[in-house]
Amino acid sequence: MKNNVIGYYSTKFGELWERSLDDLLREALHGVLAETQLEAAQIDAIFLGNMLGGIVERSLLLSAHISEILGTNIPVYRVESACASGGMAFQMANDYLKANSGKTVIVIGAEKMTDVSPGEITEALSAAASPEEQDAGLTFPGVYALMAQYYLAKYGYTEEHLASIAVKNHDHGALNEKAHFQRAIDLNQVLGSQYVAFPLKVLDSSPISDGAAAVIMTNVDTLINNHKSVQVLAAETATDTISLSKRENLDELKATRIAGDKAFQTAGIARSDVQVMEVHDCFSIAEIFALEDLGFWTKGQGGKLAKEMSTHINSGNNLIVNTSGGLKAAGHPVGGTGIKQIGEVYLQLTGQANKRQVNNVKHGLTHNVGGSGGVAVVSILGV
Amino acid sequence: MKSPVSAWRKQKTVRNSLGMYGEIISWTTISVAPPRFSYLTPYVVVLVQLQDNRKVYGQLVDVEQKDVKIGQKVTSILRKTAQATAEEVVEYGLKFELTD
Repeated sequence: MKNNVIGYYSTKFGELWERSLDDLLREALHGVLAETQLEAAQIDAIFLGNMLGGIVERSLLLSAHISEILGTNIPVYRVESACASGGMAFQMANDYLKANSGKTVIVIGAEKMTDVSPGEITEALSAAASPEEQDAGLTFPGVYALMAQYYLAKYGYTEEHLASIAVKNHDHGALNEKAHFQRAIDLNQVLGSQYVAFPLKVLDSSPISDGAAAVIMTNVDTLINNHKSVQVLAAETATDTISLSKRENLDELKATRIAGDKAFQTAGIARSDVQVMEVHDCFSIAEIFALEDLGFWTKGQGGKLAKEMSTHINSGNNLIVNTSGGLKAAGHPVGGTGIKQIGEVYLQLTGQANKRQVNNVKHGLTHNVGGSGGVAVVSILGV
Repeated sequence: MKSPVSAWRKQKTVRNSLGMYGEIISWTTISVAPPRFSYLTPYVVVLVQLQDNRKVYGQLVDVEQKDVKIGQKVTSILRKTAQATAEEVVEYGLKFELTD
């Protein structure tokens, strides 16, 4: 009896001015139930990833919002882990099912971000930086910029190497009908865009998005057999210091390395067995770190391989990264991202990824990061 | 709003890092800032390794971006850190200037 994902639904990601957080939750919850033809009464528990409800929406006790929306009285657990809230909710749901046989859960991630000004959302997100970082006027992009600057100097790369990540992910996003940005961009557009935190520019950065995504996970054999199912081979998490200044190395995310190693150990597969990955490209530099720290690229080689676009869907290579468009093009409703990543890999593994389908996919990986690397969640799915 | 008590608590430790030499480990220029810092944009923030090996953050003042490099020597100084509203305490904290 293994844990399986048996269905996925996502709202469109983007600036959804007509929708509140409750509207997004409602669409994703009813959407995933309709997709799997299940009733709310068949669900035993719900895990919700959400970061900013308390700060931006002034909405806490979201568990009760979900009870009201679905008309159920089952336990609903809300998980906050900054941008890894969705991934962490999935990891906790996986552990819940490992401890409880014959159960079915919804894992949903949702975020409403566009009701406030850019300055206010920047400040809200920086709540996931350390007090020292906030007091120095460092923003979230600012903390990643410190890492990017260090990496570029240490390995002799330029802003062009970073920009290639954004170009690739926009190519993929153009194939995803739910993506925030469904258009290609070129290197010159990225390099010509305004700086947010030098050397990172607007087009190196994931956007501020609204959206919600949900999956149904179960260990009930009949449900697994009646649906297009994907097995959860591993969902592992690791933590690290909240401050960048307390870390040994500025050119890696240690939490990614630890969670990744644990996930491969649990799943019992090799890195070469993975054909598709959704990694946490909140900024262009973060995708380079992800590929290196997950053990797919040698440390310091990432800039070169990024520029070659070696993980592009048209590269002909065996590993394609961020087919959804990644955080950059698909959008980044922070609590929703971790579940969208699981959902995208689910679509790939079940042959439902339409225009962006990669052929003969047997294993996929998701990588979701909170803060500047204070939390990482790595999951591996397989058919 | 930042509480006066938290500002008071923090100020007790700032002095431990003042008047020290350090080296820039990394830096950035912030162009989009939270509201209480937006009057300063664009401003340079550095991560500095102090002479006692502690790593601390601060803004680098009186400098143009083109003159900032990893490895440069800096000195820690006391400056007003952010814009306070009429009800808030004006906070002073750690910043840096290039060492001559």
